Amino acid sequence: MNPDLPDIHEIWVYLSGSPLLALVLTLAAYQIGIVVSERLGRHPLANPVAIAVLLVAAAITAIDMPYPKYFEGAQFVHFLLGTATVALAVPIYHGLKELRGRVVPLFAALLAGGATSIVSAVGIARLLGADDSIVGGFYAKSVTAPIAMGVAERIHASPTLTAVFAVSTGILGAALGRFVLDAVGSKAWWQRGFALGIAAHGIGTARAFSVNEEAGRFSGLAMGLHGILGALLIPLFVR
Amino acid sequence: MIAGLVEILLFQGLGEIVSRFALTLIPGPVIGLILLLAWLQLRKRVPAQVELVASTLTRHLGLLFVPAAVGVVMFWPHLKSNALAVVAALVVSVVLTIAVSATVLRVLARRRRRES
Repeated sequence: MNPDLPDIHEIWVYLSGSPLLALVLTLAAYQIGIVVSERLGRHPLANPVAIAVLLVAAAITAIDMPYPKYFEGAQFVHFLLGTATVALAVPIYHGLKELRGRVVPLFAALLAGGATSIVSAVGIARLLGADDSIVGGFYAKSVTAPIAMGVAERIHASPTLTAVFAVSTGILGAALGRFVLDAVGSKAWWQRGFALGIAAHGIGTARAFSVNEEAGRFSGLAMGLHGILGALLIPLFVR
Repeated sequence: MIAGLVEILLFQGLGEIVSRFALTLIPGPVIGLILLLAWLQLRKRVPAQVELVASTLTRHLGLLFVPAAVGVVMFWPHLKSNALAVVAALVVSVVLTIAVSATVLRVLARRRRRES
């Protein structure tokens, strides 16, 4: 062996010590998630985020990388969540003109939907004997994930668990939404979109846009308003 | 691109400061969001640079919560022992939330139409 070249083990030690590995892993997994989701015709159950999370989790388990170590490298991506939350002001600003003449039904639906989301999830989890740390993750789960994680910190719940529940809720809502909306006789696109946005935030909104443009716009508006309202109200009630 | 990013980061910073010193219950980025929204309302338009950065970030929002969500590996044993409660709460809650929201909208929108 050439003594001037570091052996493979040293290269590995060097790479796993820098943020590069965690960053590449995260971005590559997400890219694979997007490709798989597109191949499957954007099926609501083939969610790119869920695929990416499973891939990264499997990879760091396989190479024996502890999660805190992975997060240290991936925190650059994580940091942008805050920036993306601030940037949500732009789509909300565009959506605000839709409010005209519909303020009462939209805000009534937001409050009723938001309360239903919390009371039903927390109630069922408690009833079935989940422990407090799990229950804590349910409070903000219908709020869009970046805001939900901030709220979770404020109410001393786990941001990670909250993010996992929020993403799962989005996937479930996007997959089941159509059947539930048909069952309760919801017909107008703006109502269907708004209801989906309240329950299933960003993933529901992506789904709504793929079905109908008007539904998508209202779903995005619901996601934004629910995010703001949730951040303002949830910490007041849960402490 | 950079000018838009700087503007959004400034609002994020402003939000963090307000959250740290005044409104400690509200996450900093949400305060930044509300302040930026107020600023856009005042200006009555979205600068092209801000629009570009915002649409890029929101389009790839999913990527941004991967690092946090991977933390599920740490909670896995815990989640597994609570599997029934977790799955039931998630599924029933999302179905009820959609049903209640849609019903409230339908009833209130109809009543408003009848009055006008």
